[in-house]
Amino acid sequence: MTDRDDRLGRGARRAFRLPRSGRQVDAQVDEELEFHLAGRVEELMAQGRTREAAEAKVRERFGDVARWRREATSIDHGQARQERRADLVDTLRRETRQAVRSLFRTPGFSIVAALTLALGLGAATAIFAVLDGVVLRPLPYADADRLVWIDHKVPKVGVRDRWKLGMINYFDFRDNVPALRSLALVVESRMNLAMPGGDPVRVRGAVASASIFPTLGASSPSLGRLFTDADNAPGAEPVVVLGYEFWQRAYGGDQAVVDRTIDLEGQAVRVVGVSAPGVALPQSAVDVWLPLTMDPARAAQVNEHAYSGIGRLADGATVEQLQQQLDARERLFTELYPGVYSAGFMEGTGFAPAVEPLHEHVVGPAVTRTLWVMFGAVGLVLLVACAHLANLFLVRLEARRRETALRAALGASRGRLAWRSLTESLLLTLTAAVGGVVLAHLALRGLLALAPPSLPRLSDIHLGWIHVGFVVLLAVGIGVVLGLFPVLRGGVDLGALRDGARGMTSSRQRNAVRGALVVGQVALSLILLAAGGLMLRSAARLHAVSPGFDPERVLVLDVAMPQGTYQWRDYARVAAVHRTFMGELAQVPGVVSVGVVDEVPMGSADGWGCSGMGFEGTHVKEFVCVPKSTVSPSYFEAMRIPLVQGSAPTWDEVAGGSNGVVVSQALAEHFWPGQDPIGRGVLANTDKPPYFRVVGVAGDVRLDGLEKPPTEVVYFPMVPDSGLSMWGAARNASVMVRSSTDDATSILSAARRVMRGLDPTIVVDNPRWMDEVVAASLSRTTLAMLLLSLAAGMALLLSAVGIYGVIAYLVGQRRTEIGIRIALGAPAAKVGRDVVLGALKLAVAGVAIGLVGAVATMRVLQSLLYDVSPTDPLTLGGVAVLLLMLAALASWVPARRAARIPPMEALRE
Amino acid sequence: MDLIRGTLDLLVLKALSWGPMHGLDVLRWLESTTHERLQVEEGALYPALHRMERKGWLAAEWGISDNNRKARFYRLTPAGRRQLAAEQSRWAHYTHAVQLILTAEGAS
Repeated sequence: MTDRDDRLGRGARRAFRLPRSGRQVDAQVDEELEFHLAGRVEELMAQGRTREAAEAKVRERFGDVARWRREATSIDHGQARQERRADLVDTLRRETRQAVRSLFRTPGFSIVAALTLALGLGAATAIFAVLDGVVLRPLPYADADRLVWIDHKVPKVGVRDRWKLGMINYFDFRDNVPALRSLALVVESRMNLAMPGGDPVRVRGAVASASIFPTLGASSPSLGRLFTDADNAPGAEPVVVLGYEFWQRAYGGDQAVVDRTIDLEGQAVRVVGVSAPGVALPQSAVDVWLPLTMDPARAAQVNEHAYSGIGRLADGATVEQLQQQLDARERLFTELYPGVYSAGFMEGTGFAPAVEPLHEHVVGPAVTRTLWVMFGAVGLVLLVACAHLANLFLVRLEARRRETALRAALGASRGRLAWRSLTESLLLTLTAAVGGVVLAHLALRGLLALAPPSLPRLSDIHLGWIHVGFVVLLAVGIGVVLGLFPVLRGGVDLGALRDGARGMTSSRQRNAVRGALVVGQVALSLILLAAGGLMLRSAARLHAVSPGFDPERVLVLDVAMPQGTYQWRDYARVAAVHRTFMGELAQVPGVVSVGVVDEVPMGSADGWGCSGMGFEGTHVKEFVCVPKSTVSPSYFEAMRIPLVQGSAPTWDEVAGGSNGVVVSQALAEHFWPGQDPIGRGVLANTDKPPYFRVVGVAGDVRLDGLEKPPTEVVYFPMVPDSGLSMWGAARNASVMVRSSTDDATSILSAARRVMRGLDPTIVVDNPRWMDEVVAASLSRTTLAMLLLSLAAGMALLLSAVGIYGVIAYLVGQRRTEIGIRIALGAPAAKVGRDVVLGALKLAVAGVAIGLVGAVATMRVLQSLLYDVSPTDPLTLGGVAVLLLMLAALASWVPARRAARIPPMEALRE
Repeated sequence: MDLIRGTLDLLVLKALSWGPMHGLDVLRWLESTTHERLQVEEGALYPALHRMERKGWLAAEWGISDNNRKARFYRLTPAGRRQLAAEQSRWAHYTHAVQLILTAEGAS
């Protein structure tokens, strides 16, 4: 088929039996019947009848005129409809084919346009998938929105500090708070599970009240039974419920596992059941569930806040109601449970219950904020890509003005023109959507590999149908806007048909639209560049901060001693194991030095905890909460933390019990400003002397992360002097192995070999390099930086291409004008300068708008920045200059071309 | 004599086999050919013509009649010509069969 009808126009429609409209059909049938009746009447009149007689006779012979008319027209209407439909299908098919052909005819345009949009869509979709999985989607529990997290605020201890629930909270709230349908206490703990005929393995344990399963909405087991309250009673038989996935993995789904006895932490425990598939704690999978020992009598005597509280709201109850009811209950606590809560304690800590939806607790405002910032950033990139695309389409539209006008003049309807343009844009955007989905898939894989382990709900991030739908919807929306844009904008300009209509001034309005798009692109790019720049500067500052120790080539290994054989007061035994272990490990080739510590610096996503201590002779009267670290004498050497004063106790001093502690410089300056800290007393876990005595001052370290100030920390010996109180032996500790090799596996296997010789029930595992631990602690900001920089880079590229495209096009359009100016004697240099200035004018407008936007929006980055102001003038100025230079560069090529236009050739065109 | 149902199409096709005609001419031809022995309700002709046009047996075109009026002329399409041949032979078979029955001499 060809475009025959278009060239023929309206006049030729009838000749080619083009479909008639409904009105035409009626008129034609009327005319035909009229001819018949009139002819007959004439015939009869010619035979001598009067007109009246003739008409009566004709009417009689013809029958019911209205009926025959109706029958004939209804047949024709049917046909006309059919023809119109066929014609429409035909037209659409033809226009579609034309649209495809024209996309293929200009592959450069098509590829650039589709790729641009695919990048924008892919980025937006990937981040949307993350946002959806982490923030928007409910937690994987039945009626997850009814779950709450309950803990305590202690504003007088620390504004942001939270203390968990005590056992007494469980017994009291369970029976007296109607807004709670159920309440569960749980403690997460890693455990050693002895495997018959093999090394013991570390498993993730959850020690919980029996109510944990109904609270999480998982009260039916896969096998055997779950817990009952009787399992929580003191002296109950030790039992365990296996997690479904762990049962599958470790026992191959063996049904006979029920009633078997396994060895957990050196204790024999009977398996009573297997949980339903997928049952886990909000932040962690669970391999084994153990019943928490809960004794109401003991609970009423002990002030401890060690248990995570997860509650399920009663039907119809709200978080606010629950909060009020808990507040009301705890006001009675000093009377009800004087053995636990003294008025002084309540007063001194500001102790009060706090409720928040579980989802909020798990995800947290910082993560939510970071993800929304990233979503905003990719949204901006998508906008820049759309502006770029709109520009490409405008240029193309311009080139087609004559063709479109010609087609319109020859009778192509607005609908047909719209269809063609719509098909073209939709084909393009939907192709881009396919590319976008592929890119999003790849991006997500990269993102998940890079994502900080502290990012919650990582396993809930998937690219699902809803995200694919999101891309397609976006693509269709963009395609419709782009496709209908030319049709809506003033429609068809028949003036384009006039010869030489490619005049000098006729498209001023169109150029203004294009200019505005470039200004918008530059402005958005500036905002993204500012974000990327700020993150980069912040990262540079952060990486310049010294952690206070040397993380290079330090291998961290976890050592876990089973609870059953090593009691929490077995300081000397535990220290002896560590001492022998480290002594033998230090002999292994490749090992330089070895130290042991109970908690790895920067190793915890939640931050370093603190412990209650007192400091002799300070202005601080009460107990204060200060970070502690239990270390071996060799720890400072292995981590290369300098001792600026005094020295750490030696192994020989420690082995029999020592009262010597080392404090960090920051702590010494805080508590004993301007005084000699050596010999000062420190109280640990008690408010009564005897004191530990400071024997050394160590260089400052940042245990919570590089972005935090130096930590005020007290380093305790592994064995305290008898009569001194501490927090328990370092049964679960980490060995820091400074080595001269990069071979973690050989060190690990050497360490395991050594440990097997000492005590085969002790697990050595989880090898990781210290510099990776440091990097991981930065990974949240690193990821944000990486993504924002990528977004900024994409925006930069797109706006450069955009500026170049528009300037080049304008120059091409003004060839004639420029030719005349050169012919009239304008110097080529001035012509070129004018072109560059024209581009710079657009860029300056864009930069100005962008700067205002950046100042207004960069505050959202505040929490991600380290030591950089969100309106850092250096960064904002830098990116502004960068964009202006880019604009000048992008217009330089077209400017040179303009200056070289041979006047005669330009005039002849 | 009234027309037997279903034969109008056949008669119209036959009439048009002589060349393009408008509706009135078709009727006139039928009248003169049958010496006005067949009575047709004239209006019925038009739904028949339009129906056959839709089926593709006829093609219609506006033209000028003998007395210089605008009239709608119908002509047979190739499909219409085939249809006529088929109808004609069917009709022949039918009348032959009827003839045989009418001329039969008692049951045997």
